[in-house]
Amino acid sequence: MDRRAFVTSAAAAVLPWRIAFSQSGWRTFEVTTRAEVDFAEGVSRVWLPLPLIDDNEWQRSLGSAWTGNAARADIARDGKYGVAMLYAEWPAGQPAPRIELTSRFSTRDRAVDLGRADPQAKALSAADFSFYTAPTEWIPTDGIVRDTARGIVKGARSDVEKARAIYEWVVENTFRDPKVRGCGWGDIKAMLETGNLGGKCGDLNGLFVGLARSVGVPARDVYGIRVAASAHGYRSLGVGTPMISRAQHCRAEFYAQGAGWVPVDPADVRKVVLEEPPGQLAVGDPKVVAARKRLFGSWEMNWLAYNMGHDIALPQSKGPKLPYLMYPNGETGNERLDQLDPDAFKYSITARELTA
Amino acid sequence: MLRALSGALLLAWAITAPAQALRPWSGGATPPIELQDFDGAAHRLADFHGKTVLVNFWATWCVPCREEMPSIERLRRSLDGKPFAVLAVNVGENARAARSFVDAMPARFTWLLDRDTQTAKSWRARVLPASYVVGPDGRIRYSALGALDWSSDEVRKVIEGVMK
Repeated sequence: MDRRAFVTSAAAAVLPWRIAFSQSGWRTFEVTTRAEVDFAEGVSRVWLPLPLIDDNEWQRSLGSAWTGNAARADIARDGKYGVAMLYAEWPAGQPAPRIELTSRFSTRDRAVDLGRADPQAKALSAADFSFYTAPTEWIPTDGIVRDTARGIVKGARSDVEKARAIYEWVVENTFRDPKVRGCGWGDIKAMLETGNLGGKCGDLNGLFVGLARSVGVPARDVYGIRVAASAHGYRSLGVGTPMISRAQHCRAEFYAQGAGWVPVDPADVRKVVLEEPPGQLAVGDPKVVAARKRLFGSWEMNWLAYNMGHDIALPQSKGPKLPYLMYPNGETGNERLDQLDPDAFKYSITARELTA
Repeated sequence: MLRALSGALLLAWAITAPAQALRPWSGGATPPIELQDFDGAAHRLADFHGKTVLVNFWATWCVPCREEMPSIERLRRSLDGKPFAVLAVNVGENARAARSFVDAMPARFTWLLDRDTQTAKSWRARVLPASYVVGPDGRIRYSALGALDWSSDEVRKVIEGVMK
């Protein structure tokens, strides 16, 4: 039995999976971000993440448009990762700065069959291998990170086996901490040093990425936002309303020879444990077991990917770098607005599915 | 009521949007365009060599695209008889959606369909409307991101400068 067949049959055996995951059928969504700067003082600036620039087999950008009263608006890109964002600027004295960005994209579910070599899988260049095994400012790959990872992957030979071991370790040893603001900043060294392995996707999937990179498995975080309910019966893995201002979610990928980039999401397994009704599920609960199998090798694409960047220096800003760009960001009078507080910033994000 | 309110809000936002500016182009070579119109006829940007061409990427759902389009037609009319053309490239929509909009828009543009969005991406037209002024020699001279009042004296002078 190949891996896909195994996962499918395992999924079908438990209730949460209403349908086996499908590789057909693109869905199209429209996401609208509206940002306003209340109490503007001096020059105001806003940075809004744009959908992933490069089309791939699971997401295609159909374009974006903006309206508002910005004196200047432009596409800006982070130099190292090519993260794309809409940058808007208002001069001092501009009353009620505001901008609205509408983006359309198509997406379809994604699954990689690790039991079968994919002849279409692109080889990773030496430069990309170095890039995706390198540390970031928040994700070191030496010291306690590497020591921990070496212990986890002991006996594993291939990249897939190493990634699998790290994935299982993250699922077994971490927990979703609902008290963490936003998605967590992914300070994985502090997590390992303190032994506090609680967090959200930025922390738990950041931990997966750091551990993988530290043992030479290329890996990366993918930052985005949930746009629709899960079609597989998981209330915790989707959004139930068009208002998605607080639905940001990051995922992770690792690279395997012969398979290409492989989607994983150990943080969502821990989300199922914590949040899926009735809550605080056991790791052996069928819902958790099914999610755990599925989320090593597949993503349900009720989610928009923004970018894969780390250590983002916002153009035109003198403020500190961001660990990642997943939320609207802004500043007025050179003071950063709280990106994790949509009501104070303020911003709203809505999503709707478009049907022909 | 809700729809009317949201429509009014959208309109209010759009009306307060200030004009963007034409910026000199420094983005390199001109990507090719070879796309079909509503009748299936193929058009290439290269066919317009010798003319100044405004390449405008748009979509029906893009509010500022819809709003700037009448000003593009006013510009075209003001340059009637001169070597100037407008290629209006719909991004990512089906012909029916685009055509229903165009039928209600009395503008003499060359309407093209970029269904797979690859042409828009090759032009780096990520945010709509995205417009490019291509000189008679085929080189991009200016670009504009966002809606522009194309019928303003300032913009027309820039276009006429490219035509010389």
